[in-house]
Amino acid sequence: MERKYTILAVLLIILALGLVILPKKKEQKEIDPKALLSAVVEKSRYLSVDLVTHRIIENDPTLLLIDLRTADQFKLFALPGAVNIQPDSLLTATTLELMNQPGKDKVLFANSDLISEKAWLIATRSSVNRLYIMKGGMNEWFNTIIKEKPINSAASSSDLDLVSFRNAARQFFVGASETTNTPEKPKVKEKVQVIRKAPEASSGGGC
Amino acid sequence: MIGPIISSGIVSPAWDNIFAVIIGMIMGFALESSGFSSSRKIIGTFFGYDFVVVKVFFTAAIVASIGLLYLSYFGLVDYSQLYIQPTFLTSAIVGGIIMGIGFSMGGFCPGTSLAAIGVGRIDGMVFFGGMFIGVFLFSESFSLFEKMYYSGSQGPKMINEVFGISPELFTFFLVLAAVGMFFGAAWVQKKVKKVEY
Repeated sequence: MERKYTILAVLLIILALGLVILPKKKEQKEIDPKALLSAVVEKSRYLSVDLVTHRIIENDPTLLLIDLRTADQFKLFALPGAVNIQPDSLLTATTLELMNQPGKDKVLFANSDLISEKAWLIATRSSVNRLYIMKGGMNEWFNTIIKEKPINSAASSSDLDLVSFRNAARQFFVGASETTNTPEKPKVKEKVQVIRKAPEASSGGGC
Repeated sequence: MIGPIISSGIVSPAWDNIFAVIIGMIMGFALESSGFSSSRKIIGTFFGYDFVVVKVFFTAAIVASIGLLYLSYFGLVDYSQLYIQPTFLTSAIVGGIIMGIGFSMGGFCPGTSLAAIGVGRIDGMVFFGGMFIGVFLFSESFSLFEKMYYSGSQGPKMINEVFGISPELFTFFLVLAAVGMFFGAAWVQKKVKKVEY
């Protein structure tokens, strides 16, 4: 190999080595206040329970569900693939490492939006990207997906599609036999009260 | 344009197409001046008489990696804002095999065939025509391949994460591998009979 190329190769190795031995930056990155404000007012940071459910069912590899409820509540019921993180450990190195995974959509939720909103703000300030809130939390998820609602007879086709998706999702999460359909009542034989006609008075003769 | 200049709000997304044209022209110029418009030069990699393709691509990869990591270190680029193409393992393997066969048979890849057309090479035009037919047939029969196309989805995945090392350390190993390959290619080239083209 020519000498000039050898020099360039050595230079590249030195530069790459420099990357490895440079001291790691210790200061915590914080988002610019203007950028934070713009992110706070942005509605796209909310994901509907239907969308989250759809992504769970599709087994979307880019989805990372972060359940902020208590450990006991998490043990009782958890969404498939969800990770339980307590709000007070949101800024630990392990949690930040988890939330800084590139290419993952981190979706926060608790029972309602209150804790998720606070967690979203703290994590966004710590420069966590692609962070979302499941709008309404687990309460909304349960009311929308698990609880069956009566279908309005005047529902549009898109509403019917949504209902049909929710029914399928309900079966996915709780099983086909566990739907909240009211079981049909066993048929009880109704007693038929026979009202007998009073015997007609015999005619007095023909025409 | 996919990159931190647009997503950081430094440049308006309305400039996307202008950037695409400018970058395309620079890319075309670089390809032509590196000799990539010649199918014989490209095919040299497979026969061992010319390794310019591997050298140029490896150089581009390591210079970009080092540059990006330094710019990120000095706070000039937000590394996390970069768009990472999601990985679809099955289609990547199948597509890679088809691409490799096409590359070695035709002597071009899509970009270099356009560079060849730019300098008026007929083989480049034929290659591009074939590629266009292939794209058309694939699009028309997409439903047949759809399942395979989306299978093996792993989301955006970084290779350093797969190995569990930092991007800096991975880049260092990549540079060592590239430099080793440069010397190896020079050694092979000396052993193989020269081809005039």
